Amino acid sequence: MIPLLILTPLILLAALGAVWKARPVHAALLLALTLALNAILYLVLGADFIGLIQFMVYVGAVAVLIVFSLLITRPGDEAEEIARRPRSLVTGLACSLPVLAVLLFMVSRFETAGSAATDARSVSIEQLGTTLFTTHAPAVMAVGVLLTAVMIGAALFAREPGKKTPTPSDS
Amino acid sequence: MTPLAMLLTLSSLMFTLGLLAVLTRRNAILVLVGIELMLNAANINFIGFWRYGPTDPALTGPMFVLFSIAIAAAEAAVGLAIILMVFRHTRSTDLNKLDSLHG
Repeated sequence: MIPLLILTPLILLAALGAVWKARPVHAALLLALTLALNAILYLVLGADFIGLIQFMVYVGAVAVLIVFSLLITRPGDEAEEIARRPRSLVTGLACSLPVLAVLLFMVSRFETAGSAATDARSVSIEQLGTTLFTTHAPAVMAVGVLLTAVMIGAALFAREPGKKTPTPSDS
Repeated sequence: MTPLAMLLTLSSLMFTLGLLAVLTRRNAILVLVGIELMLNAANINFIGFWRYGPTDPALTGPMFVLFSIAIAAAEAAVGLAIILMVFRHTRSTDLNKLDSLHG
């Protein structure tokens, strides 16, 4: 409970920074921090493997990818972003606060309805692997197909347009 | 406040922050940052329900998070590839300037 009490405000602060910071690189780095703190949260909750995967995939791959994209596109003028912030913030809050209200209402309802088990629980990698490759084997294959398709698609998108790669029939 | 309620509150707030980022940001890459926050909020719910819910030998919560992380990685890769392609066409990632379908 105590690690949760420490981690929750930290995660929220980092997420708030990721949303609020006008400079894009700062926002991306704070997102990386949020994701890393999330990984620690999973470790604290007993999902060790998930925490490590979260750290590797999100912090190691997704966050770095976002930072790289920012470096390539070089978004400038955060002054403009700050200048139009009040107006967009009003619209954003008007849309997101009702969502938050509904979510919190449901959480409070849930608390009265359910009772929570508090025994320590953890998942071993062996158990996870067995379940993954027996019960969820079709899903693993589907994810494999998805990742292959994504790899091909991303390569296709990132290709320089108009530049035809030479094929043996051209020569 | 039970730990589960705390985790659910955390994920609600994080989801809202992600939504706020998606709605207010003008840079397409930072909109993607908001989407990642929302996905992570959902993952916290899965782990929270697995940890504090009834015993589940099928490990539905962690399994769901594992697949969700794989799909989030795929989504980020394709999303950023699309943004880079748009950037190459228009020299900008400002969503306000991307208002025509004409390449």
